[in-house]
Amino acid sequence: MTSYELNVNGTTYPIDAEPSRNLLSVIRDQVGLTGTKEGCDDCECGACMVLLDGQPVNSCSYLAAQAAEREVTTIEGIMTTEELAPIQQNMLDAGGVQCGFCTPGMIMSATALLARTPDPSEEEIKIGLSGNLCRCTGYAKIFDAIKETVVSL
Amino acid sequence: MTDIAPVPNPALPNPALPNPSAPGATRRFVRADGPDKVTGSGRYAADLQLSGMLHAKFRYADVAHGRITTLDTSAARAMPGVLSVLTHADVPDVRYSPGISDRTLFAKDVVRFEGEVVAAVAATTKEIAQAAVDAIVVEIEPLPVVNDAEEAMAADSPLVHTDWESYEADEAVVRSGNTVSFSSITHGDVEAGLSAADHVITSHHVADASHAAPIEPRAIVAQWEGQKVTVWTSSQVPFDARAGICQTLQLPTNRVRVIVPHLGGGFGGKCGFHFEAQIAALAKAAKRPVKLVFSRREEFLAPDRRREGMTVEITSGVKNDGSITARKARIVIDSGAYASDAAFFPQLAAMHVGGPYKVPNVEIEAHLMYTNHQPSGSVRAPTAPQACWALEAHTDQLADTLGIDPVQFRLQNCVTEGDTGIAGQVYGAIGLKECIEKAVAASDYGAELPDDEAVGVAVSWWPSFPGPSGAHVKIDDDGAGQIITGAQECGTGAVMTLRQLAADEVGLQPEDFEIIYQDTGVAPYDTGATGSQTLINNGRAVVRAARQIADELRKLAADHLEAAPGDIVLADGSAHVAGTPTKNVSIPELAGIAAGGELLAAHGSAPPLDYPTVAATCVGEQGVAGWVAPQFACHAVRVKVDAETGVARVMEISTAHDSGTILNLTGALGQVHGGVLMGIGQALTEVTRYSDEGLQMNAGMLEYKLQTAADAPPITTQFVEPGGEGAGPEGAKGLAEAPNVPTAAAIHNAITKVIGTPVNKLPMTAERIWEVQQ
Ligand code: FES
Ligand code: FES
Repeated sequence: MTSYELNVNGTTYPIDAEPSRNLLSVIRDQVGLTGTKEGCDDCECGACMVLLDGQPVNSCSYLAAQAAEREVTTIEGIMTTEELAPIQQNMLDAGGVQCGFCTPGMIMSATALLARTPDPSEEEIKIGLSGNLCRCTGYAKIFDAIKETVVSL
Repeated sequence: MTDIAPVPNPALPNPALPNPSAPGATRRFVRADGPDKVTGSGRYAADLQLSGMLHAKFRYADVAHGRITTLDTSAARAMPGVLSVLTHADVPDVRYSPGISDRTLFAKDVVRFEGEVVAAVAATTKEIAQAAVDAIVVEIEPLPVVNDAEEAMAADSPLVHTDWESYEADEAVVRSGNTVSFSSITHGDVEAGLSAADHVITSHHVADASHAAPIEPRAIVAQWEGQKVTVWTSSQVPFDARAGICQTLQLPTNRVRVIVPHLGGGFGGKCGFHFEAQIAALAKAAKRPVKLVFSRREEFLAPDRRREGMTVEITSGVKNDGSITARKARIVIDSGAYASDAAFFPQLAAMHVGGPYKVPNVEIEAHLMYTNHQPSGSVRAPTAPQACWALEAHTDQLADTLGIDPVQFRLQNCVTEGDTGIAGQVYGAIGLKECIEKAVAASDYGAELPDDEAVGVAVSWWPSFPGPSGAHVKIDDDGAGQIITGAQECGTGAVMTLRQLAADEVGLQPEDFEIIYQDTGVAPYDTGATGSQTLINNGRAVVRAARQIADELRKLAADHLEAAPGDIVLADGSAHVAGTPTKNVSIPELAGIAAGGELLAAHGSAPPLDYPTVAATCVGEQGVAGWVAPQFACHAVRVKVDAETGVARVMEISTAHDSGTILNLTGALGQVHGGVLMGIGQALTEVTRYSDEGLQMNAGMLEYKLQTAADAPPITTQFVEPGGEGAGPEGAKGLAEAPNVPTAAAIHNAITKVIGTPVNKLPMTAERIWEVQQ
């Protein structure tokens, strides 16, 4: 067991966990935030995407202890007011959400993309989301949601 | 990226929808489950935790075929933290499965595929459960592996089920030895038709197995209280799951409650009954709640829901005038180790190899064969994408032989209103011809393209499935509505559309209704998220219930406003007297009155629909030769092929669909986009490869290769609404499966145009395309 503090969405949590635990399992099982999903546990699907100091990271393949001293943002930390963030609202309005299992990871990747490329081209959007698998939507409406967010920002 | 006709008709508010009065044409769609899903607050089965909850792990066969000689669980049972260990000996000796009862919860003496569950453990942690599973001693004496469906047909093939004759089965299922189910469709005189032809063309096609691959791996939590068990499961079919638990654990339905939290996709992969009973049995034995969460690898190996591999041989006779005189075909389908729900696959595949064409003489036989692979079961439009891919490759070959443009050939031969189909069904108003014209017109078909690009075209069809379905609708004292439905939402938005149907009846907004769904403990029966049936069946149930509420509201308003109930109009949240909008009362006020007297609560059930009769002779009749409200589609796909590497890339797809009236345009487009992308995956990359030992060689996302955002081409969609009979509310038909059907076929035909030779193997991987080019 190692003990460390984890900052998730601006709140500090004391953690006691095996040193081998990945960030995803600590966020879900110990911090208690289940919005971050596990689709493969093998860096293949992006459902577990979180931001680490603003950078998108597959939390299933990142050691939790390494995230100590850094800022972790999960889907639960995306709303800064009571209202849905523009990317969240646009995902709904565009029809970018079906089963919703990929959605938190998608929104995290989209957020990171828009932070580093405020006006992404179609190609940049596609590359920016290429680590997030969605089986439901065919991606088209997710692209639309991101474009809409660019316009509204 | 456009979703709609590139040539809009300015006369219509939405060019995708010829019928502007359809509710879907004008109304913005708001998902009731949307906020849960974009905020991460929505709970999926794997997110649930209960006090005292244990973790389950399964021990699998790990070999494709063998006899269990040793099964010793004593070391596992002795481990600290292990609270229950189960094998076949610990549960009722019951065989189950729809159609043919060939399956047991745990392997009984023989294992028939690598993912067969031999034992299960519940322990205080996942790690202990895994260690206990590993400590179980399983020795298996190998039996010969049936690794191919064609080989399974050989007279000297080993039998996958030596005691197949003793299994209970529906009488309609024609079976024998390794044949799980046989069907044939015979109409007219095929030999006479072939002799009357100017050309007789035969082609051979091999489609490999693939997977549904929902992004959510399945999860189950079971908890007993007294004699009753509640099971939370990621199922597309909660009532089926309940039936499976009841049958295998021998419980009455009212002691089992199945609840599906948010479901992370299914695509058929989560239809049927999977593992709920093992987890319920573990929980009972441990006297604690138990949770199972699958790894991605388990999701690939264990469920009885693989998309079936298939070989197809088709012979058609054509005349120089472009007509088809006869079609003969033989289809062999890989069922895997158990029947799952696949007994109807042969007849369905036969319909798709026959196709939506005028063919007066037909003789198609289809064999569903046991092998030692993971069982096949309904994955999004079962059998159809593969069968359509084979037929449409063949259709291009027919046109090519005659020197006729393949689109013209299809327009000449496709079924239209009044035509007789391959099984002898006569069709009403249908939109196939218009689908072809529209999809092709919106594509680059016929345009000058670079040498390495071409547009391929394919047509397809798919039934709508009427079935029993119920819902309650109520409005409480504050005017807030609830729909309590047995229907299951798997992401398509079908259940979400129900509130629009209810709202339209009672004059409220969709947002005024909440939906209580996917809980067998509170709602009447529904078949589940299967067969694209939710809106057509549960939609009718909801409309029926909501109409009763509307009648009650009209009576209450008539009393209140001193008018006749027939003169009351319900709209915009209030009731008013027709022609006098100022004479009105709000629906919340009426609801308040009702709350003190006769409550606004109603039940609706979908009235049964008649299935059309067919004139063909059908052996192995499974009820899928005559189709209620058939859907049609045409996809035209522009593909670029790299001659050096054989890599094919889809550049653009134009789609047109007749799925009847579109009730929810956002949801409908989502189904087309998702179905098309799944079709591209099936066409180019998605394949389950088997070793010589019958084991899956690529049971992971990285090796299996779903399409990514980077692969997604622009898709245009046009909906054709021919105004014929639908099956659902306002002339709706099903939709969720149909868009997945013709994509791979159209891609095949485009690739053939570029490289000059048909690949005839599915998927058409770069390697296979490259090989054909050499
Ligand atoms: S769960 Fe982390 S990438 Fe799939
Ligand atoms: S919405 Fe279901 S996987 Fe993306």
